[in-house]
Amino acid sequence: MTQQTEFNQELIAEKALVAREVVKVYKGSSSPALNGLNISVNQGEIFGLLGPNGAGKTTAISIMSTLLRPTRGNITIYGIDIVRYPNEAKKLLSLVPQEIALYPNLTARENLRYFGRLYGLRGQQLENRIWESLERVGLKERGDERVFTFSGGMKRRANLAAGILSKPRLLFLDEPTVGIDSQSRNMILEKLALLKNTGTSMIYTTHYMEEAELLCSSIVIIDKGQSIAEGNPQELINRTPGCSSLQDLFFAMTGKSIRD
Amino acid sequence: MLKLYATILKELLLLRRDRAGLLVLFVMPAVLVLVVSLVQENVLKTIGGTSTRILFVDKDRNSLGETIEDRLREFGSLEIIKELDGQKIDEKSAREAIINGDFQFCVIIPGGITEAVRERARQLVTRSLLTDDIPLKNDIDVPDLVVYFDPTVRGGFRSAVVSSLNMAVLSMEIREKARIFSELLPKQMNKIIQEAIGPYVSEKFVEDIPKMSLDWSSQRMMGIKEKLAFSKDFETIPTSVQQNVPAWALFGIFFIVVPMAGSLIRERQDGMLMRLLTMPVSYLTLLSGKVIAYVLVCLIQFIFILIIGKLVLPFLGTSMLEMGSSPIAVIMILLSSILAATGYGIMLGTIARTYEQASMFGAISVVIAAALGGVMVPVYAMPKVMQEISAFSPLAWGLDAFLDIFVRRGDIKTVFPEMLLLLSFFVGTMLISWSYSFRQDRTGV
Repeated sequence: MTQQTEFNQELIAEKALVAREVVKVYKGSSSPALNGLNISVNQGEIFGLLGPNGAGKTTAISIMSTLLRPTRGNITIYGIDIVRYPNEAKKLLSLVPQEIALYPNLTARENLRYFGRLYGLRGQQLENRIWESLERVGLKERGDERVFTFSGGMKRRANLAAGILSKPRLLFLDEPTVGIDSQSRNMILEKLALLKNTGTSMIYTTHYMEEAELLCSSIVIIDKGQSIAEGNPQELINRTPGCSSLQDLFFAMTGKSIRD
Repeated sequence: MLKLYATILKELLLLRRDRAGLLVLFVMPAVLVLVVSLVQENVLKTIGGTSTRILFVDKDRNSLGETIEDRLREFGSLEIIKELDGQKIDEKSAREAIINGDFQFCVIIPGGITEAVRERARQLVTRSLLTDDIPLKNDIDVPDLVVYFDPTVRGGFRSAVVSSLNMAVLSMEIREKARIFSELLPKQMNKIIQEAIGPYVSEKFVEDIPKMSLDWSSQRMMGIKEKLAFSKDFETIPTSVQQNVPAWALFGIFFIVVPMAGSLIRERQDGMLMRLLTMPVSYLTLLSGKVIAYVLVCLIQFIFILIIGKLVLPFLGTSMLEMGSSPIAVIMILLSSILAATGYGIMLGTIARTYEQASMFGAISVVIAAALGGVMVPVYAMPKVMQEISAFSPLAWGLDAFLDIFVRRGDIKTVFPEMLLLLSFFVGTMLISWSYSFRQDRTGV
């Protein structure tokens, strides 16, 4: 191994996630869903993955979280090749899906206990983690109620609690604030900011540009499976003429026509 | 191991809280076993499985009526009724009682039949002994015996009753012919001897011609011994309980495909599967946990149905379920059947896109497989084509194996082919599910 390669390997290992030239072509589709996507996420940062409908965000999240295999390209999480070593990578990551991925007939605590055991947690450590997670999302008092009795905002917070239970080093958040009241949304954003301070890296997708502007230290805007802008949101806004917000930048990059 | 245990525990907890699922898994097969066993127990009464009350109208009041009555009594399973509400029954009231469905059939012995049969027998025997030069009288008409049947009486039982009556009539005819024959033969011999030797023959000689005894006409030479084809001596005769308890228990086991497929689809639709697959746990562990949980539930369900067959049904007046003498064979077939059902549930849950699709197709396919498998009507009673199709139903394999053990007293060797078929079905459905999931994993479609 040359010195340069070793240096590159160390750099990759320092990054929370590195995706290089990732291509995904679905069977039967004429155009690729992802076409040479490059992403680099630093440790402890919230990275915004933005794009209109059909841009390839869900495919990118699915590949980066080991759910789908890329057609081509290379992805590492803290230096671990996720295609070759998915099980090792899974120990470091966690996903908060857009759907309320909880068993409605179980209580919040029972849901978390099940997920915790799947991460290999047990005994007092498991109970402590459940307590911490519920406490972080403000559901400590409601942990023994069944999820189907929760309001929309409570369900979203419980969904987040399941994501942070394992103390992941990289957390994927797929539109975690969609369809909830302002108070719950505000609370989730505050909790995510606190989580960032603990060193957890996050990849965050949202259609709310003000959220991304507020939370994310880096963003990538993708369209038609390709990265069309990447960097610090403020720098990108400043660099683009006529843009005073991330919303303006987003429209400038992807247009205002409706995507279905 | 912790992950597998966690998944089993979670599935059991979810099932415990799913009231509709519990109804499908426990109450439905229990109700079906109870209702169908009791109903079929009653049907057996109408087709001869138990004692049947029949009406008997004897307008002749002579020996033929008595002989037929004796024959019907020998039938064993018939209770002969000659009076209703203290009144002698006539043909009209008997017919009305049959039409009303109060009785399954009625035998009418027409008036003067005994005399007519005797005359006819005398005529036939005389004719057989006479020479051509004696003029023949016209045939004597013998009135027909009439049997009224309730239209619901099954063909097999109807044939048995008619055959029994035929036997009674035939034996009486033989006896009557023999009696006339033994009466006429010495006279005829006397006449022939006298014609041949002339008046020189001693009258004493003619009187000494031996008289024939009538015993020969009614003495049986060959017997028929009925035996049930069990592999060993076994006292249990197949009853509705022996058929229905394993049949509906299997039906209940296979109905787990609905909640099982439903839980898989809900996990997929709610993003749960997405979350689970990003966790450090293999899909095989998740599926195994689900399968083991449902196997445990099905075992409890089977025990529950057995308790109904052993305790509840006998309490309601049916016979008790007998389970043969090979508990190992029962356990092996039970586990194989449960695995086949869970495999089918997983395949359905993997392939179906919506819960509605899975519940509709799952329920209908299980009902069809049950009908083909002999759960509702025994396979041997089906048309030949259906019997051939039935060979492809996993419920038929399971039920056949259970009947082999419970009724034919088979053991593990006897049911090995069915066990192999059920386990192959499980492996096949799991492979289909795996290849479908693998295709989705690779292609994202």
